[in-house]
Amino acid sequence: MYFRKKNCVAMILAGGQGSRLMALTENTAKPAVPFGGKYRLIDFPLSNCVNSGIDTVGILTQYQPLQLNEYIGNGMPWGLNSTNGGIHVLSPYSKSASSEWYKGTANAIFQNISFIDRYQPKNVLILSGDHIYKMDYSKMMRYHNKMKADCTIAVLDVSLEEASRFGIMNTDEDGKIFEFEEKPKEPKSTKASMGIYIFRWEVLKKYLISDNEDPNSSNDFGKNIIPRLIEDGYSLYAYSFKGYWKDVGTIDSLWQSNMDILGENPELDMREKENRIYARNYANPSSFISKDADIENSFVAEGSTVYGKVHNSIISTGCVIEKDAEIYNSFVMPNTVIEKSSVIKYAIIGEDTVVHANSKIGDNPEFYEKNKWGIAVVGKDREVPQNEIILPKEVY
Amino acid sequence: MKAMGVVFSNIYDSSLGELTNYRTVSSLPFGGRYRQIDFVLSNMSNSGIYNIGLITKYNYRSLMDHLGSCTEWDLNRKNEGLVILPPFASGHTGVYKGKLEALYSAVSFIDNSNYDYVVVSDSTVLCNINLRDAIEQHVASGVDVTAVCNKEKADGKKHPLILNANSKGNATSLLIDSEAEKGSLVGMGMFIFGREMLVAAIKECYAKGYVHLERDFIQRAFNEKRIKVGTYKFDGVVLRNEDIKSYYHNNMKLLDEKVRKGLFLKDAPIYTKVRDEIPTYYGKGSKVCDCLLADGCTLQGNAKRSIMFRGVTVGEGAEVQESIVMQGTKIGKGAKLKCVILDKNVTVSDGAVLIGTPEHPVIVKKGETV
Repeated sequence: MYFRKKNCVAMILAGGQGSRLMALTENTAKPAVPFGGKYRLIDFPLSNCVNSGIDTVGILTQYQPLQLNEYIGNGMPWGLNSTNGGIHVLSPYSKSASSEWYKGTANAIFQNISFIDRYQPKNVLILSGDHIYKMDYSKMMRYHNKMKADCTIAVLDVSLEEASRFGIMNTDEDGKIFEFEEKPKEPKSTKASMGIYIFRWEVLKKYLISDNEDPNSSNDFGKNIIPRLIEDGYSLYAYSFKGYWKDVGTIDSLWQSNMDILGENPELDMREKENRIYARNYANPSSFISKDADIENSFVAEGSTVYGKVHNSIISTGCVIEKDAEIYNSFVMPNTVIEKSSVIKYAIIGEDTVVHANSKIGDNPEFYEKNKWGIAVVGKDREVPQNEIILPKEVY
Repeated sequence: MKAMGVVFSNIYDSSLGELTNYRTVSSLPFGGRYRQIDFVLSNMSNSGIYNIGLITKYNYRSLMDHLGSCTEWDLNRKNEGLVILPPFASGHTGVYKGKLEALYSAVSFIDNSNYDYVVVSDSTVLCNINLRDAIEQHVASGVDVTAVCNKEKADGKKHPLILNANSKGNATSLLIDSEAEKGSLVGMGMFIFGREMLVAAIKECYAKGYVHLERDFIQRAFNEKRIKVGTYKFDGVVLRNEDIKSYYHNNMKLLDEKVRKGLFLKDAPIYTKVRDEIPTYYGKGSKVCDCLLADGCTLQGNAKRSIMFRGVTVGEGAEVQESIVMQGTKIGKGAKLKCVILDKNVTVSDGAVLIGTPEHPVIVKKGETV
């Protein structure tokens, strides 16, 4: 069977368990975690691909993939239901000699070399399924081609204090990377890797194969592949990205990035028409805002009914906020019911959950010592009984 | 027991004035995010009717744009699906006058299929109905035609079709353009026919020069005792958008929870075109109460008892009351609107004042600036 050649194939790493999101990812993969009222994390890399003109995407899934597979479907919501290319969900599979799970990011791509080879691409774009950002990859690709790079890594300028939490690229003046340091104690530069790589497929394939033969390798792009490419003298370049980017691997960062879309001039502007983020839409009627409702600086998605108070919050599709319920600075995920007189502050409430009447979830940071306060979390498919109190930082 | 559908898109265009200057009555926006056609197509799709002919007359570009490949209604199918039937010009010049004439242009579409029954429907009577039940009743009762109908208040308003039925549900009298009386049933513009019988009737009526489906075929044949007419009584919410006044009031009825619950069922959703708008944003100074809002709106001002379609913006200090605001319309700062229907992409300048009454809402045409 002949497949038409593609200039670039995108591979999205979506197998992570997201254990730091705790109750939110108990039964679902991290890229399927809801965001911003009607989106899921995977919508960001998928929409970015489509908006950058990439039409062949492989999604590598492994952990609890049911909801994610269902959500992706045939890729139609993102315009990826094409005859040539399109979207492909790639799960680990058994081979004649052995069968194994994806052991690391590089191993996941290694196990799908034959998928990529079918399209004979010049370059492969490696993405993560759990980052919130809008980016035109075609600009990065132009840079990659201009520099005649073997590998281009997108980097974000972070503050010096933050730099020790990231993989840091040390580059010379024209952007060529001469050193890569994973979470350095004393960072020499502030160029943090965003986990977005463009590789020349020829080079990557060779290194994936040799990396797989190395029993001491942890089969990771950051830890193994990139350092070895630098060692062997390949030309790696850092592509500086300016704009909003957030790894939403923790409860705090997931909450924060949801808050970042609020306001008149938000840090992450979801409203702009260019580079729109697409999502799978369900048949929900318009949202209804009752005469008792009080909504301020908030997003409310279709299919929701609001009778209570919503301030500085995001109410996702299909939610019901009953009378006298109060929600402040919180993110309520889809199809959740907040019953009357419940008060929710600084919290994330999971999908398909019911919070029964008079519950109190989370609180303002002012009343707590710094290390005792945090975002309160109610997981997916939970039922919070009447009059329950869930303290800040607690997970229900 | 296989059934197909035939839907009319243009029958009552003239009664909706400015709102249907540039579109068919079936593509008229309704309820914040829908077009009227969404209801009948969703009902058919949810009832397992997947082979549907949509009869068009003119101005149907907006309709085609809305429907696209019909994936949203689950009508993008390999062997069945929705077929748009444009006006068929050879044989008779100009466009058709009545439903019967319109059906003649679809007769080969109906005849060439192998379905046993045909559901023929208007697109202006909005409800959430399980047509399977109606078809089963039609088959069990052995009548020639089943009219889907409901009870309405006897308020002196004229309806296109009034029926009286005996205890078995068979029609005993059948009146056109009459007022509802106590105990009578009002037709909902939906009929179930046997396919072969319908094809024969269309051909015969066309040969005789008849144009009107209810008057020239159903009523005439019923009065001459050539056909038996059954009634299927529907008990749910029914909204008839017959003219601008009823269109306005029916939109406002959606603010009633009972009406919404009767129209939007979890098990039988109403589908519509996806537009990838973001959720609606409520700004710091906004006060919104008793409103129905689609996605993609930005509210900085106040809104009360209004319906907002996708992508509407309401500026600071603006007051919108008892109004219908269609897709993409911008309302400027400090504008005051009461009982207004703003069509798509209207711009209301800062400080503008527009006041209508519920009986005579002010209408601003598509794309205009006030």
